[in-house]
Amino acid sequence: MINVVKNLYQYRELIAALAWKNIVIRYKQAYLGVLWAVLKPIMLMLIFTLVRSFVGIESDDLPYPILTFAALLPWVFFQESASEGVNSVTSNAALIKKIYFPREVFPITAMVTKIVELAISFVILAGMMIYYKMVPTIYALWVPAIIFYTMIVALGISFFGAAVNVYYRDMSQALPVALSLLMYGSPVMYPLSLVHKKLIEEQAAGAWSNDLYTLYTLNPLAGIIDSFQRVVLKGLPPDFNALYPGVILTLVILPFSYLFFKRAENWFADVI
Amino acid sequence: MPIIEVNHLTKEYQLGHITSLKENVLNTFRRLGGKPTQQRENFKALDDINFTIEQGEVVGIIGHNGAGKSTLLKHLANISKPTKGEVIVRGSIAPLIEVGAGVNPELTGRENIFLNGAILGIPKKIIQQKLDEIIDFSELEQFIDTPVKRYSSGMTVKLGFSIATSMDADILIIDEVLAVGDLAFQRKCFDRMEDMIKRQGKTVLLVSHNIRQIERICNRVILLDKGKLIADGKAKKVCNEFYENSEENIRKKRIKENKTQNYMISNELNLNNITLIDSNGISVSTLKPGDDIIISITFMANEELIKPKFGIGIHTLDFVYLIHEESFNHVEPNTIPPGLFTITCKMKSPPLLPGLYAIKCGVGVGEIMHTAFLGEDLFPFHIKDPSGKSMREAILSTETEWQLNIN
Repeated sequence: MINVVKNLYQYRELIAALAWKNIVIRYKQAYLGVLWAVLKPIMLMLIFTLVRSFVGIESDDLPYPILTFAALLPWVFFQESASEGVNSVTSNAALIKKIYFPREVFPITAMVTKIVELAISFVILAGMMIYYKMVPTIYALWVPAIIFYTMIVALGISFFGAAVNVYYRDMSQALPVALSLLMYGSPVMYPLSLVHKKLIEEQAAGAWSNDLYTLYTLNPLAGIIDSFQRVVLKGLPPDFNALYPGVILTLVILPFSYLFFKRAENWFADVI
Repeated sequence: MPIIEVNHLTKEYQLGHITSLKENVLNTFRRLGGKPTQQRENFKALDDINFTIEQGEVVGIIGHNGAGKSTLLKHLANISKPTKGEVIVRGSIAPLIEVGAGVNPELTGRENIFLNGAILGIPKKIIQQKLDEIIDFSELEQFIDTPVKRYSSGMTVKLGFSIATSMDADILIIDEVLAVGDLAFQRKCFDRMEDMIKRQGKTVLLVSHNIRQIERICNRVILLDKGKLIADGKAKKVCNEFYENSEENIRKKRIKENKTQNYMISNELNLNNITLIDSNGISVSTLKPGDDIIISITFMANEELIKPKFGIGIHTLDFVYLIHEESFNHVEPNTIPPGLFTITCKMKSPPLLPGLYAIKCGVGVGEIMHTAFLGEDLFPFHIKDPSGKSMREAILSTETEWQLNIN
């Protein structure tokens, strides 16, 4: 782990240059430029708001559009970082065959690239908060920590997925499917409080309810999205009960994922 | 202490496609059950390579396609890992493996300089300092803010080379990069490389199919063949060995394909036989430097040839024409009747130094002359110094008179 941080520091210029390249290339000939990046969360927000007008989803006494947008913001960042990260090694095959530098630069770069898009989403969120006359509290200072945690989760998936993808391209096909399923298993369309109410307060699944809730929060995104909504919109501290199962899972997976990546790295140039 | 050390380097690749996931799982079960697994054939791209390179040496690596040259460079640059053995590199490496690998077509030249600098590990500060120098060297001032996708291929390579050589590394690895760019730019690249080699004392590894280039720049050459190191030594010696090898390969291939010579075929006349005769009248294929060479070519004329003219010459194995003489003013027949005829040309002690050469011949016929026959590499021959020691860095020699005046 210390190595990752050291490499990250040593190769910061390279990561910055590659991330900058990714952004420039993606939007260079597009008239709307980087605005395309935020189209995805906005469209999803509009669709969810439309769906909600038919089925009725609780929104914790907050305007639903901003609640779901605040959920989409970390979610889209995670989803894009993970899927770009998984493809980052194979899409840089030319570089991998020609020059050596630690290969974890690629998944990390994919993630750094997404930070720019995340920043633009934040601007839109701020605009919405002004529109709904919401004032952030001191708890909003948690945001960097939550985003950092999201990055760690995304990297945990990227390292393993990128290495597997070099050998079996099935990975890049399977991941979007898995991620879109995961979205429904994360409190994006609905708030976590709804799950909490059903399982903990109403014990809807009988004796299994408490275990099911733990299983649900094992998904790191459940804790991330809930905490994000709490600190930004509700002016509350993060709910650590919802966070810790996911944190433990992430801390267990990340070292394995990274070691797997570093072991596979030796053969990238031969196999890719 | 050598700057590069390669010990028993072996690299194996598995032939065929990566096994499917299903096969992998099945193989794992077989292994667990102690049953034999399906193995794919292995291919040795490098086979037990050993050598060391000292600081400041300029080493060329030559060999046929697929000999393992690029694989070797990839191991030196730490891109691939050996199957067996080890590679020790004591110093920083600038890999110019196909310059322009990191050049992105969507970015402008200037943007690419910064991007490639970062990829090569040059700090941004240094790039900024050297920016003008890089742009100046690349001769692209006018186009530096144009996306590279609108560049010609030569311009892209110029840019790539300019960036790569601005890097301050102890070891330079160059793979087939000088083959591009116009002559003037090639010249410039040479000068820069020589500057790096001679003045800055850098260690350089060069892979090229341009053997002349290698002979010129390198003081040591390594010859690879089918993954094995078959020669390592003085540039001229190893290059000659390589020429001989390739010549032999080509001839073997031709015999296999039942095509003994390569020349233009016409219905007017065919090549029948070609011999080389030394001054004693004996047919030979090896001569001493300074010997007279008599070239005798027999043709079969299929029809009457009107005012035929003959041209006979000698070229090197990489087709540099050294001598070309014409029959004009010597033999000027009006016609040659159908049937066999022999044309002979005696070259009086041609100034060739030891090496491998071949004969070319052309025949033009008609009132309005047209080419009826043209063939190169018709008869390869060897000029050998019987003492075997004179190995000069040239092809030709001339009689000289020297004077020394000390005032």
